[in-house]
Formats: sequence, structure tokens, C-alpha cells
Amino acid sequence: MTFNDRIFGVLMIVLAVAYGWGTTQFNEPFGGAEAVGPETFPRLLAAVLALSSLYMIVRPDPDNAWPWSRTGIELIVAVVVLILYAALLQPLGFIISTTLAVGTLCWRMGALPVKAYITGAVSGVVVFLLFTLALDLALPLGLLSFLEVN
Amino acid sequence: METLGYLMDGFGVALAPHNLMFALMGAFLGTLIGALPGLGPANGVAILIPLAFTLGLAPETAMIMLTSVYAGAMYGGRISSILLNIPGDEPAMMTCLDGYPMAQQGKASEALAISAVASFIGSLVATVGLILLAPLLADFALTFGPAEYFALFLLAFATLGGITGKNPMKTVVAASIGLMIATVGIDSTGVQRYTFGTLELYEGVDFIIAIVGLFAISELLFFIEEKAGGGKEKMAVNKLTLTWKDIRNILPSSFRGGVLGFIAGVLPGAGASLGSFIGYTLEKKMVGKKGYFGKGDPRGVAGPEAGNNGASSGALVPMLTLGVPGSGTTAVLLALLISLNITPGPLMFTQNADIVWGVIAALLIGNFLLLLLNIPLVGIFVKLLSIPPMFLLPVVTMIAFVGIYSISNTIFDLYFMVAFGVAGYIFRKLELPLVPIILGLLLGPEMEKNLRHAMEISDGDWAILWDSGLAIGLWVFAGLGLILPYIVGPLLRRRMQAGGSQVD
Repeated sequence: MTFNDRIFGVLMIVLAVAYGWGTTQFNEPFGGAEAVGPETFPRLLAAVLALSSLYMIVRPDPDNAWPWSRTGIELIVAVVVLILYAALLQPLGFIISTTLAVGTLCWRMGALPVKAYITGAVSGVVVFLLFTLALDLALPLGLLSFLEVN
Repeated sequence: METLGYLMDGFGVALAPHNLMFALMGAFLGTLIGALPGLGPANGVAILIPLAFTLGLAPETAMIMLTSVYAGAMYGGRISSILLNIPGDEPAMMTCLDGYPMAQQGKASEALAISAVASFIGSLVATVGLILLAPLLADFALTFGPAEYFALFLLAFATLGGITGKNPMKTVVAASIGLMIATVGIDSTGVQRYTFGTLELYEGVDFIIAIVGLFAISELLFFIEEKAGGGKEKMAVNKLTLTWKDIRNILPSSFRGGVLGFIAGVLPGAGASLGSFIGYTLEKKMVGKKGYFGKGDPRGVAGPEAGNNGASSGALVPMLTLGVPGSGTTAVLLALLISLNITPGPLMFTQNADIVWGVIAALLIGNFLLLLLNIPLVGIFVKLLSIPPMFLLPVVTMIAFVGIYSISNTIFDLYFMVAFGVAGYIFRKLELPLVPIILGLLLGPEMEKNLRHAMEISDGDWAILWDSGLAIGLWVFAGLGLILPYIVGPLLRRRMQAGGSQVD
């Protein structure tokens, strides 16, 4: 099966065209147009990408299998955990969000839940203390901000 | 003799107590990174860059620390090759061939000690080579004009896949993607390109976020997919009984390996994998029938290990003198230089002499530190090898998050990093190499600047790009870099595989 490279090649040609078209939307540089303006280099790149993607469509490599079913869901879970981790870092604070994120990842990768969340909590506390005490960098405390000593 | 004076100054920088401390820390961390499964050298150095920033280190200290990490990772890679038969990174593959059989015969600690000595000699030979060659190359590079630089960058991309690379066209696709990402932001004439009015994109895409996302996050996803969270069974390590004679026996192999490795490291398109491969095959030829290669011959450990380390020091030559890295890890080191506001290239040898020579001296000192660290402390590293990836990788991911967050304290950067991680996973699935993307991100602005300069000089005549003999030479080599893999690539790959399957 050689679908992956072909589909990716088509997507990249679409990108190259969109990117190349984007160069027509630039404003004129302040000092007036020159031999090589802001659009020259991007246009070269668009041409190179379009040609090399075309090659991928014509001579594709054999596919690597995508992980459908369970493993695929695990991967989506992992990405969702990472996005939630980023989103909750400030509201929940570093220690709590790290416990949840690292714990969930360890658990989903096969660790026992108790061990997983303990790993998360310990790593969160250690890194937090290291950053605030030794490196003097503030990480958000969030819900735990009542512990703040000021 | 001028070089010697600079080197002395370099030692002055590298021997300053705090620099020495960070070199030691870097060497230790590097060995760890190299030894631990799922943490390649490029990945490890990338995660440490944001931390080097947040620590507020001086440029030379940051460079010294991360160069030590780089050197250490090459030492560490051999530990899992020998004990687990899993190369920590690609160049360590050849070390498995005789290292693992040695471990199976209950000579694991001898194999580890021999490989440490060989690594030391390989690096030492190559660092001396670096000291001799780098200033010459830097002087020569001063004659380069913008057109030559443009051609040189093309050469760097074309040879990145190496002559053993599988599909050079994919390197081109990847490089274009990287270069395209690099054009996002406000360009040198003040024009906004591809910012879509988003304030966060005005300054362009921070390549550190891209590197950490592409490497660290995609690695996590790969481990989840392969369900490799449990880790592998480890080999018991016996008590070390190494005699002086054993060491003397491997010295010639180590020297030969080191020299070959250095040459392979300097040349574009060869790289450390080829260095260790040539090191191994040459040893096999030299020793002939008296050897027992593939069945645990110490010389089969020493040759490729010295070659691998020699190549990694050799790879610093083009990175430091021309500003064009030839490998993933040196590309990450280049990222550090650029973010420290140091323009890599020949001028660095005069403008930032303290940094360049400090790093070179640190490499020499680091080698002694690594030898000292690696022989007595090998037990600790072996213990750490048994940490299962299911605990290790989430924690590493967390450290990547903290590092990126601490650069600018914005959540936007974290989303960006995760997006790069998912993209990196897809690219790796498609066997699209990641290093050209990173190199594109790093070199994009310089490449465009040189193109513009060249065109200004010629008043818009494109012929200037291939107007000098040097430029034509570079174009020819770039072309060969793309064509040769189709001709000799399959042949070389088959041989390397044949060598690799002997133990199985």
C-alpha cells in the first residue's frame, strides 16, 4: 500500500500553492520594490516543495501501518492529556496539573495507577521546589497558592 | 602557533571553577541521556536548552555544558548497546556486534571499560584533529561570498540524509517545510509574512519550541504506540578484571577508529553511523583470521566505538567553522548558538574566540572527566537503565513542558509544542526525516539573507549564484549528495545490514 506518501504529497502540493499564493498578499516593503523582495525566497520554496511532493506522489514509499483501534485511542488520549496539561497549568497550578498529567501518562503506558500518580506527584513537587528554591523561577501554584509564604 | 595561544586562553575559560562544574554536570547528564532508552542525544540536548536559558548561564558556560552533554551522550549510547543489544542511537549499532556477545559471556564490565577507553581515545584523536583543522577551515571560509554561502547551505541540506539515506526527495520535502516555517514573521525589510495578524507569530516560530516538540513529544507518542513502556531485561554486570595488557591490545584499533571517525564526521554526508561502520569493517580486515569478530572480540568493540566518538567530534568542525551542522545533535547545538545571539561561521573564531576555544578546551577536559566518570560510576548508569520507560518518558515530557514554559511563561508556546509533537509523529510515520526540518528552521533566515545580498551585488542577475569556481563546486557536491544515495545507497545499506545481522 502506498497511500500515505501520496496523500501527504497531495497535501503538501496544496500547501505549496497556498503558500505561494500567500506571497502575492504581502505589503510592498517600505523602501520600494527590489530585485529580491520578501516574496522571492518563499516563491522558490513553494516551487521546490511542489516538485518534491510531486515526486512523492509518483514514486511513493511503502506505507507504515497507522495504529487504528485501541492503540490509536491511547495516542489520542495522550495528546488530549498534553493539551489539558497546558490548559490547566496556570489555573490548577504546576504541582496538581503535573500530578494529573504525568500520572495519567504513566498509567496509560502500563504502570499501576497508584504508582503512576505517586510518580506524578513526586516529580511535580521535586521540580517545583527545584525551580522556585534553587533556580529562583516562579512556577504557578494555582489552587495551592494558599501555601505561599510571603 | 597562534592556535596554541588561543587554546591556552580556551583552557583559561574552561578551567574556571563554575565552567568546570557545569562541564561535569553536563558530562554526567549526557551519559545518562545516552544510556536511557528513548532519549537520544539530539532529544536530550534539546530538552536541556530551555533549562540552560532559565538558569541564565553565560554564553560560554551554556555552550560548554551542552557540548559536554553531547560528548557524554556518545559515551552513554554504548551502555545499552552492550548490555541490552539495543543501540542508544544509530551510530552505536556497530558496538552491539561484539559488545553484546562479550556481555553474554559474562564480560560485560570489560566490554564497558574497553568501550570507555576506546571512546576516550577516539574523541581525543578527533579533538586534536578539530584543533588543527578548524582554524584552517575558518580562514578559508572567510573567502566565501553570499553566493558561496547560499550554495553551501544547499550542500548542507543535500548531504544531510547521508549517502546511506533512504529517500533524498523526502529530505528535500522536509527541508522545504522547515524553511517555510522559518519565513513566518516579520522579515528583514519589515514586511509581515504568514502571520495572519497573530501577535505571537510576529517574531516568527521559536525553533526551540519546534525542536523540543518534534523530538520529545513525538518520542512519547512512539513509545505509547509500540507499547514499549515495560522496558527490557537487563544483563548482570560482573566484577571488572581488566589488565593493562587488555587495554594495550585495543589501543591500535582505537586510534585507527578515531582517525577514520573524525574524517567521516567532517565530511558532509558521511556522519557517525558510517564512521563506526568503517571503523568496524576496517578492524575486521586488519586483524583478519586471527580475530573472532561477532563473537565478542574486544577490538570489535573498540574500533566502532572510537569511530563513533571520533565522528561526533569531527561533526563539530563544519558546525563551528561554517555554521552548517551535519547531524541532528550538532543542529541542536547550532540552535543554542543562534539563540545566544552568536552568529555561527568563520567570524566566530575571531569575534567569539573565547567561546569557540573554551568549547574546544572543554571538549578535551570533558573527555578526561567522562573517562573518570564512566569507569567507576558505570554501576549507577546500569541501574538507571532499568527504569522502565513508562515512568521515564512522562517525566521527561513534563521537563520539556517546564522548560518551554519557563522561556516566556506563555501557554501559547505549550500548545505550539504539542502541535509540533503531533506533526513530528506523523512525519516519522511517513519516514520524513526531522533533522532537515530543524535545519531549515535554523538556516532559513541566513539563507534568505545571503540570497538577497548576492542578488543586490549582481543587481538581480541570478547567474551570480554559480559564478565562481567555488560556488560551482558546492553546487556539484550538493547535486551528488542527492543523486549518490540512489546509486550507492542500496549497496551500502545492504552491507551494513549484513554486518548487523551476523549476531542474530
